[in-house]
Amino acid sequence: MIDTIAYGLTIGGILYIISIGLSLTFGTMRIVNFAHALVYTVGAYVLVASLSLFNGHFIAASVVAVLAVIPLAYLIERYVIRRLYGESIDYAIIATYAVLLIGVDAIKWIWGAIPIPLSDPVGKAWNILGVELPLYRIIIIALSICVFFILELFFKYTIVGKIVVAGLEDKEAVRSLGIKVDRYFSLVFVIGSCLAALGGVLYAPITTVHPYMGFQVLLLCFAVVLVGGLGSMRGTFLSAFALGMVMAVTGRFWGPAAETMVFVVMAIVLIFKPIEV
Amino acid sequence: MREKVILETQNLSKQFGGFVAVEKVNYKLFEGETAGIIGPNGAGKSTFFNLLTGLFPPTEGKILFFNQDITSTQAEHRVELGLVRTFQLVSVFDSLSVIDNLILAVTRFSPIFTNKFRFFFRDAHIKNITERAKEALNRVGLADKSHILTSELSYGDKRKLEIAMALALNPKVLLLDEPFAGLSDVEIKELLNLLHKVKKSLTLIIIEHKISRIVDLVTRLSVMHEGRIIAEGNPKDVLCNETVRRVYWGGESCSVDGITDSSDRRRRP
Repeated sequence: MIDTIAYGLTIGGILYIISIGLSLTFGTMRIVNFAHALVYTVGAYVLVASLSLFNGHFIAASVVAVLAVIPLAYLIERYVIRRLYGESIDYAIIATYAVLLIGVDAIKWIWGAIPIPLSDPVGKAWNILGVELPLYRIIIIALSICVFFILELFFKYTIVGKIVVAGLEDKEAVRSLGIKVDRYFSLVFVIGSCLAALGGVLYAPITTVHPYMGFQVLLLCFAVVLVGGLGSMRGTFLSAFALGMVMAVTGRFWGPAAETMVFVVMAIVLIFKPIEV
Repeated sequence: MREKVILETQNLSKQFGGFVAVEKVNYKLFEGETAGIIGPNGAGKSTFFNLLTGLFPPTEGKILFFNQDITSTQAEHRVELGLVRTFQLVSVFDSLSVIDNLILAVTRFSPIFTNKFRFFFRDAHIKNITERAKEALNRVGLADKSHILTSELSYGDKRKLEIAMALALNPKVLLLDEPFAGLSDVEIKELLNLLHKVKKSLTLIIIEHKISRIVDLVTRLSVMHEGRIIAEGNPKDVLCNETVRRVYWGGESCSVDGITDSSDRRRRP
């Protein structure tokens, strides 16, 4: 039981870290960004590459991986996303999906298509009520909660945060205050992308690193964002953990249904709480 | 008083698909005046404002602000130049506190905005900004509500807040898009008092469709109809202008009340 809960919270934490960028990009720029999955995958691959560079020092390699996606995120924002402002939402889906496909092929070209397993970077386990829990997973849960509170503080107490919150409500009104709101949206995009890379880094030791890992997680993250409410930061947090638990609990009884159940829950939520676009 | 033109449009037009929302408008705004633009819903008034403030580009024509061509200037930059607006549907930020709304408006012009490091951390608590924000709130009588969430304000208070934010931007020209819409009679009176005070220090353009509300406030009145300005001048003369009466209201009377009534009658199904 305890290990199911721990597993659910771990998955929830990772889903949250990845989804927050997706949710913010939709909330601020009204763009559904499939390329988010590419940034996530690249994060994991840079981790693999830099692990060998830093003799297996996981923290250093993680930092490199998270920072390495900044130029990639900037390029995607500057040359793809920004051209899609105000266009119909399906253009954004097609264009960012194209970026994802191109990126995945580039990854296959650079690193090959063979899955790369990573070992647990911490290796220790805690004994909680007679159940051995890997410390690494507990760190992930703690880290995702930290990310949540850091973002809460950022949006509440900094001017940049307030500008973004205002921009989520009414972009034109922010512009009418003489604030170049797009610039702050770009910043949010880059922060969201770094978090996606962090998600890739954290998830890598739990699954394997392979070129298509992004596709798998992308749909789950869309479910998280839709259930949490587009552009809602707290909603994303709660729905990530709720859906993580759904996956864990379903997986305990019937493995193959774990992911499907997430979408069943999403469908039920959407029936009772239609999205406002 | 009236010589200096500070805002001018030349053949300004905007088409949405086949629909011409604004057609070849040549408008002049003189320094220090309070100009009114009236017309029914759909006459192109708000579109005209959106063109002036740069929310979207014109199909054709030019906009000059202090003799500088701002036709393709970004909306944000126009605010910096001193061209500030409010919206027809009040646009304040519900999820921020009242004072935070003003802080957003004030920060733009404080030196902190250029200081990257302080910009990121706790600048909301820096005295200067907060004080200026409070001062602006005082001006509209919202000082005692500064820390409540904006979503809890009444519509009238939200309108006051929006105007306080606009004034905090130090505008040279302030464009008010139907500022009285949705307000109660008491609130309208309060807002009129405020505008009578404000108009002494800056140039105003007010869009309205109920003429009786602004006839005493404005020094010059323009009438928009189907995207064009069909009459312009002293408010009372404009109301008695034959074209205006015939094309626009079809009314006989040229008294302010008569026109208000008939324009209201027009809008009823």
